[in-house]
Amino acid sequence: MITFHFLDWFWVVVYLLLMIGTGVLFHRLGKRSEADFFIAGRGLPWWLPASSVYATHTATDTPIWITGIIYRYGLPGIWYTFFFAWGAISAFVTTRIFRRSLAYTQAEWNTQRFDGLGAEMLRGWISGWQIFMNMFILGWVGMAMGKICHLLFGWDPLIGLLLFSSLCAIYVFAAGYWGVVMADFQQGIIAFAVILIVSFWGIAAAGGPSGIVSSLHEMGEGWRLNPFAFSGWFTGEFPIAWFLTMMFIAVLGGFGMGTSIDWYIEAQRIQSAKSVRDASYSIWWGLALGIFRNAVWAIAILAFFVLYPGIENPAEYELGWFRLGFELLPVGMVGFFFASILAIHISTISSHLNLGAVYATRDIYHHYVNPKASDQQLVRVGRITTVVILIGSFIYGSMMEEITQWLIFALWLMAAGVWLPNILQVIWWRFNAWGYLSAWIANLGLSWLVVWILPAFGLIPELQDYQQFWLLMILGATIYIPVTFLTKPEPMNHLVKYYVMCRPIGWWGPVKREAQKSGLLDDYPPTTTGTGDAK
Amino acid sequence: MKFIKRNWDAHEADAWTKEDWIVIVLSPVIYFLLMVGFLLSLLLFWQGFVIVGVCIFLIWLMHWIINPKLKAISRDYEKKQKEYIKQLERSVRWEE
Repeated sequence: MITFHFLDWFWVVVYLLLMIGTGVLFHRLGKRSEADFFIAGRGLPWWLPASSVYATHTATDTPIWITGIIYRYGLPGIWYTFFFAWGAISAFVTTRIFRRSLAYTQAEWNTQRFDGLGAEMLRGWISGWQIFMNMFILGWVGMAMGKICHLLFGWDPLIGLLLFSSLCAIYVFAAGYWGVVMADFQQGIIAFAVILIVSFWGIAAAGGPSGIVSSLHEMGEGWRLNPFAFSGWFTGEFPIAWFLTMMFIAVLGGFGMGTSIDWYIEAQRIQSAKSVRDASYSIWWGLALGIFRNAVWAIAILAFFVLYPGIENPAEYELGWFRLGFELLPVGMVGFFFASILAIHISTISSHLNLGAVYATRDIYHHYVNPKASDQQLVRVGRITTVVILIGSFIYGSMMEEITQWLIFALWLMAAGVWLPNILQVIWWRFNAWGYLSAWIANLGLSWLVVWILPAFGLIPELQDYQQFWLLMILGATIYIPVTFLTKPEPMNHLVKYYVMCRPIGWWGPVKREAQKSGLLDDYPPTTTGTGDAK
Repeated sequence: MKFIKRNWDAHEADAWTKEDWIVIVLSPVIYFLLMVGFLLSLLLFWQGFVIVGVCIFLIWLMHWIINPKLKAISRDYEKKQKEYIKQLERSVRWEE
């Protein structure tokens, strides 16, 4: 526990007033329409959604997680954080396609790409799953804040969860996405500054960069400085096969939509950008900033390792970066540090509150319950669902200890077996809603078999996670590829409409030719320069 | 004709061309090098500064290649956007 002085509380109160004030300032913009409440009227310059991408993905649990892997594995652990490299390709491929679709959500995009009952089933499933996921993430991140407050002030963890999520909900309720993105901008700056200050403070305390290097060598831990210190091709905790699989999933995932759980939140930022170009740059630069942040954290954790080596208990060393701040910063700065942790925390909470609400409002209420709803009604429903999602997050947060293991498994399920279908839906015209739905259903069953049931009966050995990924990808394909070919393609007129609007990359030759025949493409007769329209 | 096209009209820009594919390859390479470059630079290893320097050049190159095309796509698309939004709203309301 630490003691706060007047100056410390001053920083916290000033920050909270600044943040909630943002909601009051922008509530007039937020309440104008559904488009304003959820995507800021599609009018933002690239640097605003970029700062939101960065701020949202800098959560309270992020330094805990990164500290855990760097303290344990040294710099090779940094590749665990490289999953966001999906944005490298996505910024120039799927971001462009999704922004052109104008869909508010991934679920809405599904009904543009696919047609009929299958498409509606997908929309219902994706939106329901996203409402649940956002409540879960809010509970998870909220509980991380609860634990930090417990460490600092001795509060019951539930108090930290309830208090700061509720304060954040005030401006999300008032201004919707306008409040989120404007607050994210200031929160992103504060968080970035404090990550630098605390990390460099910690690095200096460990003797500076050269002091860290020499100390690690003296301790016989010099391997921690090499990001490529792998344990062999297929053996040990960090085989090269794992690294290559990670690169494959992360980088090529950029050709798909939903290959990373982060896609769903970026989709909202993409749609809020004022043009296709702004959308591309917002994703690229927002995620690039995350690379720099992770590198700074990683070196600060090496400093923490030098200062406090040999901690065995993960629960203890995972809070290493926070300890650098609270134990090394002078009086007055500790309050500033805590205010910045609030910034880090609240930017994530606000984004997920609004994201859950857009699926509930746009995809469930507007599309299925009340298609004739006015903008005023939709904004009201947006606000109500914000509160419902907040309450749901409290329930998940309070039972987090019991369900975490199950939910990590559930997340893994989402990643492995549908990774390739998430790409196929973008790049291959013949892939249909039934193929995609069957991939999701097959993945549920296959994941249980591969991860738990077959190893438990000794029918297959216990596999590492990267091996599970390949196996699930191959097994899944044996189901959804036949399903796709045994069911009809989406109606050509529906695909042509989608093609003309979104101009997808990949194998869309028959659809393009049909669009040209119908006179819907400006470049008729067909040009020969295109490289992305193979048969 | 120059290897990299920098003057686009709207119809040309809508197609996926070699400029896109160059950027699709460059962009993840830059992310990868940035990760390594930042780590090594923060430890004051000279290799890190060299890698970050190369990255800055590659970022400039990537934008030089793709920015004119993205501008052309955006310019053209924004003209059509209003009509597309109307279509989308009709679809969410089951009117088409």
